[in-house]
Amino acid sequence: MRKFLTLILVLSFVVAPFSVLTAAAQDDEDRWDGADDLPVNPLPCGDEEAPAPEPKDYDGGQPVDPPDLAGEDIVLVDVPKLIGIGYFAATTLGQQQAAEELGNVEVTTDAPTEGNIDEQITFIDNYITRGVDGILFAANDPVAIGPVLKKALEAGIHVVGYDANAVPDAREWFVNQAEFNGIAKALLDSLAAEKGEDASFGIVTSTFTTPNQARWISEMWAYANECYPDMTWLETLEAQEDYNLSFEQSNTLIDKYGDELDGLFGMTSVATPAAADAVTQASLCGEVAVIGLATPNAMKPFVNDGCVKSVVLWNPVDLGYAAVYVMRAIVDGTLEPGDTEVEAGRLGTLQIVNGSEVLLGPPFIYTEENINDFDF
Amino acid sequence: MTAHETSQTRIAPAWTQQLRALLRSQESVLLFITVIAVLILSTQTDKFLTVRNLLNQGRLMTEIGLIALPMTYIIVTGGIDLSVGSIAGLSAIMLGYGWYNLGLPLELAIVLALVIGAIAGFANGLFIILFRVPPLIMTLATLAFYRGLAEGIAQARSVRDYPEWFYALGQRETLGIPNQLYFLVIAAIITAIILSRTTFGRSLYAIGNNELAARFSGIPVRRNKLIIYTLSGFMSGFAGYVLVSRVSTTRSDMGSGWELDAIAAVVLGGTSIFGGSGSIVGTMIGLVLIQLLKNGLALTGVTGDATIVVIGSVLILSTLINSVIQRRVEGL
Amino acid sequence: MASITQTVSVRRQRFSPSSILRSVLGSQESVLLLALILLIVWVGSENRQFLATRNMVNVFAGNAYIAIAALGMTMVIITGNIDISVGSLMVTLSMLSGAISVYDGYPSWVSTDLTIALAWVLPVIVGALVGAIIGFIVTYLRIPAIVVTLGFLSILKGLLIIVSGGDRITGMPKGYALAQIRPLEDVSMPIFPAFFQTLTMPVFFMVILTILVALWMRYSPTGRALYAVGGNAEAARLSGISRHRVVMTAFILNGVFVGIAAVMNATQFSVIQVTLPPIELTIITATVVGGVSILGGTGTVVGAMLAAIFLNTITKALVFLDISPFWTRAIQGMLILITVLADLYRRHRQSA
Repeated sequence: MRKFLTLILVLSFVVAPFSVLTAAAQDDEDRWDGADDLPVNPLPCGDEEAPAPEPKDYDGGQPVDPPDLAGEDIVLVDVPKLIGIGYFAATTLGQQQAAEELGNVEVTTDAPTEGNIDEQITFIDNYITRGVDGILFAANDPVAIGPVLKKALEAGIHVVGYDANAVPDAREWFVNQAEFNGIAKALLDSLAAEKGEDASFGIVTSTFTTPNQARWISEMWAYANECYPDMTWLETLEAQEDYNLSFEQSNTLIDKYGDELDGLFGMTSVATPAAADAVTQASLCGEVAVIGLATPNAMKPFVNDGCVKSVVLWNPVDLGYAAVYVMRAIVDGTLEPGDTEVEAGRLGTLQIVNGSEVLLGPPFIYTEENINDFDF
Repeated sequence: MTAHETSQTRIAPAWTQQLRALLRSQESVLLFITVIAVLILSTQTDKFLTVRNLLNQGRLMTEIGLIALPMTYIIVTGGIDLSVGSIAGLSAIMLGYGWYNLGLPLELAIVLALVIGAIAGFANGLFIILFRVPPLIMTLATLAFYRGLAEGIAQARSVRDYPEWFYALGQRETLGIPNQLYFLVIAAIITAIILSRTTFGRSLYAIGNNELAARFSGIPVRRNKLIIYTLSGFMSGFAGYVLVSRVSTTRSDMGSGWELDAIAAVVLGGTSIFGGSGSIVGTMIGLVLIQLLKNGLALTGVTGDATIVVIGSVLILSTLINSVIQRRVEGL
Repeated sequence: MASITQTVSVRRQRFSPSSILRSVLGSQESVLLLALILLIVWVGSENRQFLATRNMVNVFAGNAYIAIAALGMTMVIITGNIDISVGSLMVTLSMLSGAISVYDGYPSWVSTDLTIALAWVLPVIVGALVGAIIGFIVTYLRIPAIVVTLGFLSILKGLLIIVSGGDRITGMPKGYALAQIRPLEDVSMPIFPAFFQTLTMPVFFMVILTILVALWMRYSPTGRALYAVGGNAEAARLSGISRHRVVMTAFILNGVFVGIAAVMNATQFSVIQVTLPPIELTIITATVVGGVSILGGTGTVVGAMLAAIFLNTITKALVFLDISPFWTRAIQGMLILITVLADLYRRHRQSA
């Protein structure tokens, strides 16, 4: 018995590292495949106008027998991916502003302390039991969140997503902060403007499975192939939502590629300031461009001292604000399937795209001139 | 306990003694705390104490429960298994990989996932018994290794769009009760009986109390340890399958953090982290208490950040109350 | 006392060449050091960039805060306890440090220098206090450390989010960035001058603290008592050592080192954010890979420091070797397992 077990053990010890290493070596990186092979749709290069998207029929879901609350007070709950980070603190701020303006909306934000789909489902489930008039969400996983959102729709609760989508039939509308391909274009165009069309770059992201980040990267892959064939995509590294690890991974990229590295992309509001910190402390400002998605407050130190030229992001305060207005419009019956636009307070009229998505607008680029006007 | 019982023998008839012992047991104290908590919460909202809500909570706690059962066994022997969440993730990925990438029939892919879970647990056990690696270290290493395998195999892809029948386990009900809850209840009953009524179960306590003595008294210590770690892997794999069926997709980060949730349920249930004592009943009460607290607080409008503060405090306080009561009982 | 005379007599025998070799390979510290050197040389030969000064500095500096926190964890584990709340505590203390430095409501006599000093020192004191509370509950209320710290993990995390609301801290005063100071910048060392000139503060803290703690644990009565309590609590009690006091000391010092690590962490960056990665697992891993027995009683802080550097080197090496990032975690897990097994194997042979 003992001999047999030892044999198994020795065998597994020989086989396991070998198989892991061969599997690791076999990865071909022909196409970025972190986004479940969903179709990519790169925008045209440069200033060329994007062709008008083909109109698409409404593909969202509908609540079953929702009570008619047009014009009446409604109670909403907002369940973002997680609480305790600056980005979702900003969307919450926007929601509170909208609620105050409207006067007949009450919204509370509650979510797990870690971006964990399992916990997020539990939170939404609890609010269905508690009984609210509407749920706002930013999904940790588009598919996994589906069943619980459908349960909400069946209970007659209105469901609107923002920031991170769910499968369309699990929610009525999704407030899209910016299209994936728009973000990709803005990021790469910024790099090209700063370091030329033959720049070499690395990426620091949260995890390869975070849906939004994965889609942005796959769109970047497509857009770079199309518009910047001379750019070199050096490497993409994971750094969780961890400031320290993001800093270290940025350092690793800087050290590994040395002079070859022209730019670093940060894909999260944690990774971008961490990458900027790494570049600043390596005294490589100007030599390595840091471009990324981040909220203005985290980037002010770097933008103000000139190390970072452009930060790409929509305004998350506006995003939260728009989500509440969209919810109010559904309840009041002013936004119905098939509509092409919706009124959203101070943001004016927002367009409807892709069947059931409300588009906030093109991504916003923060620069030295305007970054100090924002406080979130 | 024995001193207490003998001193009472002359005064009280046997059944009162037993009743007293029962009332002072860890489980009853914890049950009492749970009942109090439920009563307080139910006065705050009428949405809490409804059959529908409670059954729904049963659905949500099934995965952690399935893992907490074998975890009780392991902790009773003085061990620990930190790799359970990673095994659940690995099994979930293997389920999707087997079905989608390898083209196996879905039934076979489910079996594959469960077998992988069992093998992962078996490997933990094998290292622990053969090389005497302390369980905490072994499973700390496989916590990273199994999660890494899941990530490597998944290549950041998730597998979705399963046939409709696959969701029956995680999303449907039979006779009004969530399907997965049947499995949890049956598993709890079986594991409880094995732990309290069989030689195997008693041998686990013996191992936890004094491993050397257990070995000398002829208990197959190594075999039994191998069995419980394999069981833990299997149940983690099963929990992974239940989760995939409930949320309809696979992700390589599934189950992360489950180890702490399961351990919290077990130690709250009165199982000593040093081994030698504990029960499945206690674990189940601990599991229910945590779940109901989370749910009840959410329903009364307490937000998630405050809820985890409460849960942490309850964990420490209830362990404290219990240890004070047990010391009193022993001191009498 | 008997064990000390034994070590002395053992040491006297170690003078023949083979016994010297055996003693070099006879401890986890030397095994780790050797593994570290081999790894650096090997990766360097595959990719020259790995040996560049900046990367070498980052190899040592990257996990310095982990190594500092591992000092306290080593003590706690040696006494037969564990602390899984250190991750939450460290983030809380980092935020506290940042918040003190940017707070603008101080009375006028408080100068910026004083503010900065407070921001460096207060987190350490608060860390010690939290450690004392945990230690008190563990020793005097007799609740297992894993239960207490599991509870504290939740409590600290929840409170941190309630208080901070997810805000980030920026605009720390000039001079706050302790961790970015390069103490040897103007000193010309005879060997590797560029390397030493770019070394940052965390590395110095890591090395100096590790040496101090190693000496303290080896030669001071309280330091030795840590081992005695973990190795055989009953014997320790009989020999007159107060178990409670020793365990309390371990937890308080653990809080102190988490505080120092938090200050190193906070002053490294221009932005302090609440991110809650499970660094407690990294710290515990560093400790056990460094050869600290989870059952208590043996292990050294030098091993834990080397292990922290080793773990960081692996992470970087995998990038420099162009291993697919999808597989890095699996390989890390495997390497951790192998180092731990090597340690166990060596111990079995020595005890046999």
